[in-house]
Amino acid sequence: MLNYFITALFWLATFILLVGLWRRAQLWRNGQAAEWKLTQLFTIPKRYFVDLHHVVAREPYIARTHVATAGGAVAAIALVAINYGLMLYSTMLNWAIVIATCIMFIGAFFVWLRRTSLITNQPPSRLSKGNWSRLPYSLLAFSLGLLLLTLPITTLSNSIAVIAALLLLAGSAELALGIGMGGPMKHAIAGLLHLAFHPRQERFNDQLSTALKPLNLQEKEFGINKPSDFNWNQLLGFDACVQCGKCEAACPAFAAGQPLNPKKLIQDLVVGLSSGTDASFAGSPYAGIPVGTHAGSPNQAIVPALIEAQTLWACTTCRACVQECPMLIEHVDAIVGMRRNLTLTQGSAPNKAPQLLENLRQTANQNGEDNLARYYWAIDLDVKTISPITPVDVLLVAGEGAFDMRYQRTLRALVKLLKAAKVDFAVMGALENDTGDTARRLGDEATFQMLAKRNIANFNTLKFKRILTADPHVLHCLKNEYPAFGGHYEVLHHSTFLAQLVANGALKLSKSTETRKLTYHDPCYLARYNNETKSPRALLKSIGLRVNEMERSGLRGRCCGGGGGAPLTDIAGKQRIPDIRIADARSIGAEVVAVACPQCTAMLEGVIERPEVLDIAELLAASLVVASSAVTGLVIESTVVAA
Amino acid sequence: MQYPHIFTPMTIGKLLLPNRIYSTAHAEVYAESGGMPGERYIKYYEEKAKGGLGMAICGGSSPVSLDVPQGAWKPVNLTTDLVIEPLAKLAEAMHKHGSKIMIQATHMGRRSAFAGDPWPHLVSPSGIREPVHRGNAKTIEIEEITRIIGDFAKAAKRVQAAGLDGIEISAAHQHLIDQFWSPRTNQRNDEYGGSLQNRMRFGLQVLQAVRDAVGADFCVGMRMCADEFYDDGLDHPTLKEIAATYSQTGLIDFISVIGSGADTHNKVTNCMPSMALPPEPFVNLAAGIKSVSSVPILHAQGIRDITQAERILAGGLVDMVGMTRAHIADPHIILKIRDGREDEIRQCVGANYCIDRQYLGQDVLCVQNAATSRESTMPHKVIKSTGLKRKVVVVGAGPAGLEAARVAAERGHEVILFEKNTTVGGQVNLAAKAPQREQMAGIIRWLDMQTKRLKVDRRLGVAADAGMILAEKPSIVVIATGGLSNTEQVPAWGVDKGLAVSAWDILTEKVALKKNVLLYDTIGTHAGFGTADFMASRGSQVEIVTPDVKVADDVGGTTFPIFYRRLYAQGMIATPNYWLDSVYPEGDKKIAVLRNEYTEVLEEREVDQVVIENGITPNTALYWTLKDHSKNHGQTDISTLFEAKPQPALAEKLAEGEFLLFRVGDCVSQHNIHGAIYDALRLCKDF
Repeated sequence: MLNYFITALFWLATFILLVGLWRRAQLWRNGQAAEWKLTQLFTIPKRYFVDLHHVVAREPYIARTHVATAGGAVAAIALVAINYGLMLYSTMLNWAIVIATCIMFIGAFFVWLRRTSLITNQPPSRLSKGNWSRLPYSLLAFSLGLLLLTLPITTLSNSIAVIAALLLLAGSAELALGIGMGGPMKHAIAGLLHLAFHPRQERFNDQLSTALKPLNLQEKEFGINKPSDFNWNQLLGFDACVQCGKCEAACPAFAAGQPLNPKKLIQDLVVGLSSGTDASFAGSPYAGIPVGTHAGSPNQAIVPALIEAQTLWACTTCRACVQECPMLIEHVDAIVGMRRNLTLTQGSAPNKAPQLLENLRQTANQNGEDNLARYYWAIDLDVKTISPITPVDVLLVAGEGAFDMRYQRTLRALVKLLKAAKVDFAVMGALENDTGDTARRLGDEATFQMLAKRNIANFNTLKFKRILTADPHVLHCLKNEYPAFGGHYEVLHHSTFLAQLVANGALKLSKSTETRKLTYHDPCYLARYNNETKSPRALLKSIGLRVNEMERSGLRGRCCGGGGGAPLTDIAGKQRIPDIRIADARSIGAEVVAVACPQCTAMLEGVIERPEVLDIAELLAASLVVASSAVTGLVIESTVVAA
Repeated sequence: MQYPHIFTPMTIGKLLLPNRIYSTAHAEVYAESGGMPGERYIKYYEEKAKGGLGMAICGGSSPVSLDVPQGAWKPVNLTTDLVIEPLAKLAEAMHKHGSKIMIQATHMGRRSAFAGDPWPHLVSPSGIREPVHRGNAKTIEIEEITRIIGDFAKAAKRVQAAGLDGIEISAAHQHLIDQFWSPRTNQRNDEYGGSLQNRMRFGLQVLQAVRDAVGADFCVGMRMCADEFYDDGLDHPTLKEIAATYSQTGLIDFISVIGSGADTHNKVTNCMPSMALPPEPFVNLAAGIKSVSSVPILHAQGIRDITQAERILAGGLVDMVGMTRAHIADPHIILKIRDGREDEIRQCVGANYCIDRQYLGQDVLCVQNAATSRESTMPHKVIKSTGLKRKVVVVGAGPAGLEAARVAAERGHEVILFEKNTTVGGQVNLAAKAPQREQMAGIIRWLDMQTKRLKVDRRLGVAADAGMILAEKPSIVVIATGGLSNTEQVPAWGVDKGLAVSAWDILTEKVALKKNVLLYDTIGTHAGFGTADFMASRGSQVEIVTPDVKVADDVGGTTFPIFYRRLYAQGMIATPNYWLDSVYPEGDKKIAVLRNEYTEVLEEREVDQVVIENGITPNTALYWTLKDHSKNHGQTDISTLFEAKPQPALAEKLAEGEFLLFRVGDCVSQHNIHGAIYDALRLCKDF
């Protein structure tokens, strides 16, 4: 009797699940075509157990919990499929099911425990409540019900059997019906399929995949206007979200009280793909925007009915959300996709952004300067300017920061180091155009592509072995994004290059005289976008400086607020992002914040009461000076900046 | 981009300059014997290069010919090949930092005193005496003209051989070339006189010879005046015509323009405009020259602020801005702009201490920056000590005390600064009360900002006593309590009886000013005349009595003419060569008894008020109470001090409660602002 119940329930649940999945798949199919092959399904095990687990394992508690819960569940369901689906009713297999359900039960218990206030003050605010709060109970019910019903040693009393059957029914409803209806367990199927059909397949080949995808500028509509403008596999990706809120906890805009929460953004897109309102969202809202006031459907414009433009413009493109996401969702691609529509089709980029984009179009730099002025600072340093007839080893591309007197100090220090190391280098001079990084992040793909093509054409007239830059945004653009337009170069960040020079003995530095407590702030575009966290630290170590790490550093470093055109769109929040970062530095008592990016320098120096902000190059160049004096304590001159 | 015009590079001739600020040729009075630039000279310029200056022109009035006496202002001697090697060292020092260096070359003609080695007969187009230098001269002969043209060419070759970046030929300040130009000095009737074309001939021949000597690529410029301000001299339209003609020859790559002739005392003072003149007083004249010139125009005169420089450049008035005294006050101007530390620039106030010393044949020093031209021993940038961190108490926030606090704080010590007044500045605050001397306050403003920036614990309005100082448990106490008005020296002046009052009483307005006032000045510096001017400007009738040979005898050549303009304009009476013997009352009047220094005849004046300026007596009370408590008995070891080495006492270990005691500035004996600041810097730089 019980055996037949379980068999019937299994096949009913399977049917319901398939129907539900088919309906869900119809929603994904509203998206645009993207290349896929059925064989990609075979990649799932490796991607699940290696790539995804690599992210999940950062939080051991939930990793272990998930292994037990999901592992137990998958094993139990598979065994049920064999033993009951095929009507074998083997006692041996029942024992196996008991073991699997026990494991699942223990796992589900810890899922429950995390969401209670028993061991912590409260569940972390980043976790969504709502139907996610019922999930531990569903899982406990499923595992307990199945355990009791399949336990082969005793005969259950009728009342217990009924209770167990009801528990199993409830649990199965979550797993089968829930998935099709968009319940929390949808993440299991959508998540696995997302791994297979992920829009950035190269992520799973140990390749950095941070470049934005080129936009076809011949299309009628640019970027993402409505949910159905996303590729189908992007929509699938949104559906994989488990609302764990790791993105929310990492998001600098959210922390600053700006109206952006990456988790809600993904959930809003789920609302958009499945039609409805955001009323059932049970997590942290966008600051200042009440939940329940927005709605969407696949073919309805996203902005502003579903998502307000200011939410999209608050993003710094720092990729902290992407870095944290255990489901490997690509939030930044989604945001830039929607920005492209706002900027290119609607022309509605806010605040200072339009002026900057206009400047880029008209003058190829962000503030409408004379491009010759980009390298005025280099004249007294007697720096060569490259020309088609003067080949060099290293081409220094300074970027937009070269117009700024602050960043010129970094560049002067870098030039001093290059000269000390006898590097054959030249600057690009008036041939240099802005890389288009900011334009691209602001969604102005047309201006980006124009500038990229122009720069590539200029590069092609010149002879150099590699490109050096002190600006990680320039690095990212030239190294990761120009290849799509035919520009293939060896591009090095100055920290990487200088670390090579120190390692091979070309650059000899004395121990730093800096005695203040120092920390290093990882630029997002160097660390997360280019996986370079070691060279800056190695360089600081090479001059005897100890790096006191802030709470968020390396690949998980906190953004300064300067990326993605965010300083231009300037969306108001409760505080400014650099204030938060400086607070990080102050909380460990840092007196010097070493940086490696002109944006970071500018943003962090915008905080009035703060530690001193110095680029790695400045700290290193100071160690080139050998202090000497005939008289105690008297050094006639001075520091690097006096060069 | 910040300061976009200052930081727009500039090409003059074939020379590329990184920015548009430069330092003009001035007489440094640093050259070593034989007119050779030595270590001091080179380091003085190298400091500007370290500070980011785009170009310096050194060697104001460096003579090319032997018949220019060189004793008076120690110029660089361009008459000999011996100069090449030291100049090459200078060029190397400048180029190391990316700066360019040129030198000014000239023949002074009559603009010298004959009475010095080699006792030449000075030459001038028409042998007319020069008033300022008492320059008696002969009429120059054709053979001498030919020789001097050759001398210019040879000098230019030497400059080029030394690796300098260019040469500036002076036709300004009424040197020989503009002595030919000016009808005031050229009354010849040969091919060098008469028509303007003839008067321009000598200069053109000089430039042609120089250009022939150095070739087309070497930078050659000319300095000229844009209006002599004499009725019989060159006016602006004529000088525009000269500039147009010269620039069109292709012989020169730039023209550096100044305003004002210089052969009388009252005109010399225009050339280096002091704080009494408006900012950039002659930039319009330079712009006038620019309107006719086909080469870049460089101009300096009273441009002391970087925003002023930026504005002048932005307005297109000139192509480059000279900030020479500005760089004497702070050689790191460009560096500080680049570092975003503009508010740390020590701004020239136009006190003209530098140029006034030069006119006395003394080395150029800055009233407020004691490190300038002492780069071998004194730091422009005081670096943090790597030794003991000490607690330093400074008492008195005049220039000496402020500088001591600043330097000690830069060294990284914990510094407490006591000042009994509620504002810092000491006697400089009094100096700034005088009409047209208000900018003296700028000296204090910088020190004030620096001590605040360095987080010196400033206790203003607190008259520190020994107990308060010792309670701080200091390891070093620096007394900088300044002076007290020295009116008690001659009891017969009757200050204690109220028959006479001090200049301080007047300037602080402690005593009400009366109508008919006699100011008695035994010191002869700015203080006495400044007080007189203060009173006259408020409607008093003022007679200045001094035993010196003239009123304000101890102020320099660019300052006394300013004073005399005001003295005569305001109807003050100058009575030099008289002592004030005594004052006695008669009714509500005061009778001042004066004695002539030379005849010893007594005279009397009936006035409403007698004001005494007799300098200061050191304010030593606090010193004496602390002296015996201190480990070193308040003694500064002068042999190490004068060698700019650390005080030996600093090396000794101090027991609990022990401290070292030093004194700086007027509280030792009456010095001046520079002396006070130098005292503090040289002592405290090694703390």
